[in-house]
Amino acid sequence: MVILAILLPILLGSLLLLGLPRTLGVWGAGLSFLLNLYLFLTHPGGMAHEVTLPLLPGFGVYWAFGLDGLAALFFLTIGLTVFLGALVAQVEGRFLGLALLMSGLLLGLFAARDLLVFYLFFEAALIPALLMLLFYGGEGRLKALYTFLLFTLAGSLPMLAAILAVKALGGSPSFLLEDLLAHPVGGRVAFWVFLGFALAFAIKTPLFPLHAWLPLFHQENHPSGLADAMGTLYKVGVFAFFRFAIPLAPGGFAELQGLLLFLAAISALYGAWVAFSAKDFKTLLAYAGVSHMGVAALGVFSGTPEGAMGGLYLLAASGVYTGGLFLLAGRLYERLHTLEIGRFRGLAESAPGLSALALFLFLAMVGLPGLSGFPGELLTLLGAYKASPWLTALAFLSVIAGVAYALTAFQKVFWEEGQRGAEDLKGAEWPFAFLAVAALVLMGVFPGFFVKGLEPLAEAFAKILGGGA
Amino acid sequence: MTLMVLTVFSVALTLLGFFVSVPLYKRLTILGLSLALLSLLLTWGRPFALGPYQVDGIAQVFTLLALLGALWTVGLVRSRRFEFYLLVLYAALGMHLLASTKNLILMLVALEALSLPLYALATWRKGEGLEAALKYFLLGALAAAFFLYGTALHYGATGSLLAGTPGEGPLYALALGLLLVGLGFKVALAPFHFWTPDVYQGSPTPVVLFMATGVKAAAFAALLRVAAPGVPDALTLLIALSVILGNLAALGQQEAKRLLAYSSIAHAGYMALALYTGNATALGFYLLTYVLATGLAFAVLSEVSPDRVPLERLKGLFHRDPLLGLGLFVASLSLLGLPPLAGFWGKYLVFTEAAKAGQWGLLVLALITSAVSAYYYLALGLAVFQKGAAEARPRPLARSVALGVALLLILLGLIPGAVLPALAAG
Repeated sequence: MVILAILLPILLGSLLLLGLPRTLGVWGAGLSFLLNLYLFLTHPGGMAHEVTLPLLPGFGVYWAFGLDGLAALFFLTIGLTVFLGALVAQVEGRFLGLALLMSGLLLGLFAARDLLVFYLFFEAALIPALLMLLFYGGEGRLKALYTFLLFTLAGSLPMLAAILAVKALGGSPSFLLEDLLAHPVGGRVAFWVFLGFALAFAIKTPLFPLHAWLPLFHQENHPSGLADAMGTLYKVGVFAFFRFAIPLAPGGFAELQGLLLFLAAISALYGAWVAFSAKDFKTLLAYAGVSHMGVAALGVFSGTPEGAMGGLYLLAASGVYTGGLFLLAGRLYERLHTLEIGRFRGLAESAPGLSALALFLFLAMVGLPGLSGFPGELLTLLGAYKASPWLTALAFLSVIAGVAYALTAFQKVFWEEGQRGAEDLKGAEWPFAFLAVAALVLMGVFPGFFVKGLEPLAEAFAKILGGGA
Repeated sequence: MTLMVLTVFSVALTLLGFFVSVPLYKRLTILGLSLALLSLLLTWGRPFALGPYQVDGIAQVFTLLALLGALWTVGLVRSRRFEFYLLVLYAALGMHLLASTKNLILMLVALEALSLPLYALATWRKGEGLEAALKYFLLGALAAAFFLYGTALHYGATGSLLAGTPGEGPLYALALGLLLVGLGFKVALAPFHFWTPDVYQGSPTPVVLFMATGVKAAAFAALLRVAAPGVPDALTLLIALSVILGNLAALGQQEAKRLLAYSSIAHAGYMALALYTGNATALGFYLLTYVLATGLAFAVLSEVSPDRVPLERLKGLFHRDPLLGLGLFVASLSLLGLPPLAGFWGKYLVFTEAAKAGQWGLLVLALITSAVSAYYYLALGLAVFQKGAAEARPRPLARSVALGVALLLILLGLIPGAVLPALAAG
């Protein structure tokens, strides 16, 4: 089943790349979403749907996938976001194909149970992102592309070294996660190994000061917002810290925990600060993303079960609301051909449905109780407070700042007096709005239902740190 | 058997050259190389020895790679004179011989047998080509002298002419060092690399393809035998120099062939990482992906122009001819080692060998320089997507070959396990 869920979007995406009509992509994304939803709903909570096929058995590499509570949650949010994107983004079939291809690779990344296979998907997911930027990006796309790629590659090669070292020095017979966990590395090696992982994942989180590629990436991508929504899903750093880097080298993490907590808090504040002064809708969202990922990273770095759960929940939820906001930005751009916040003004009058949807998304983003951002932020707060009260207090200034920048932007765009009118929601945008709002509310009101499989994982995570540090 | 096929065809074609038309001649050469390939595959995994001529696993794997390079070169070239094909055939014979012997004297003979035709091939274009060929020849002769001197010392130190004989003492170390220098020239390891950019730029593209693939494969087979028992520390230095110099120098290049020349120095460094454990499978797979990707890159370049190809001239190639453009893009990404392309597994395998040998410093250096290489490989691969008016008059065959090899690079990246056992058995 998992293999099917991963292969379906990859195959469909490839077919679309060869020139099949766009409609097929929309149906395919829907099918993929339903399949992921089914996998999530029938998920027992523990590890399920395990598959292991040989890739390079002589070298201990296996196509090993499995769905635990965490991966299932990400399957759900990825399926949903891609489906939403396919519904509303007015892009040609090939573009949609790239997005589908990327979603399949991301699914593989989240389900991978083999470190090297994880690395493969991690890197391979880069290619569709790169091609989307290359073929459908703006004027300055080559610069954005270079920055993006150099940052990513600079991070992923130390990670490859860390992967090789973890196996060679730990003496594990294979790259399977369970084997690696049974043969941990210790001492100085653990420090270097963790550093190798940390570089790659800090760039993908993105943590300040390694976030420099992100704003450019979003500015230059296609205005439809589809590529941006995919880019939001590609922020896998927090997840990778939780699943791989920290459990595989807990000793190394213990040495760097203070620094990482500090960087996470700084990212949260810095992102919020820049977002506050952003003139452009996408820049605002990009930096808001930096800020939110800082908070999520803070949760995981706290090493507490609550913090880890909160951080991961925030990561999953942000895929939906930030992705949704990027898609919304695309809708606005299509209507008014600008993304400059100062030039919208007073859209609420002419487009009430659109502004209601935007309000929902913004409020979810700032963590209003009852919407999807809140449970994650609350849990993170609880967990991080245990680890470092001061940094937590500092980081949570960003939540207040978040309310400020989000509401200011919303007020400027939709309420302030102005002449600009725009068409309200139409056609496929209605199901898009309903689905998005439903997801935001459900994830906010029944967080327990979505985190059912997360608790044992977070407990085990905290236990590794308690015993191994 | 492979030797027989190659010899028979070389001799027969030498005589036939004066009677047969050139197109037919080309076909006959391809037939000869293909038959040699076939004979190799028929005897795959079955070692064979006749005096100092010993076809073992290493010989088979690396002959296969060298023959692939030769076939590609012959297929690519549009020569109006039959000598070109004949010289390639002779060089292939030398390569097979170099890969299939442990005897240092025979190695030297083979080395010259493959080098002499290449000196001639390097002059194929008048003007600039002559200077390049002269450089190549002088340094090649020097390399042969080093190799010969090393052979003599090797005999003095161990009393044996067989590569891989264990020995000790400063004399032995010097002998190994000199042999390493001699072969280092052929694979273009720094600091014996300085002929590479000029020769690559000055020689016709198909010849460069041959130098980059076939010569490398054969010389690495010899290096494996010479270096396997106890790799001297000198190798560490050579590798470090190669990956640093090669990558840094490639960064500043604006001409595609020169860029690939410098990058080939870096690749020689990466390949040499497998010499520490003497693992022929890892090295063979790396070379296979390298032969495919470099071959593809040069094939596309030669469709654009048989001459110099500044990166400027590649701009717009994708819009003009999507298949060729995509081919160069895929080749660049594979050379860069981006998963899931085949090049990634090549790098992964040799890096694993370095890890096994405990060469962590070199490994980190190799990874950092790999990251640096991303910059110029992207410049090369992305140039085809930029706006511009590239000229290309590709033949339909070139298009389908570009497509086929690009697909092969992707496929090998997805299921590397399909080829590895076969390489290990060879």
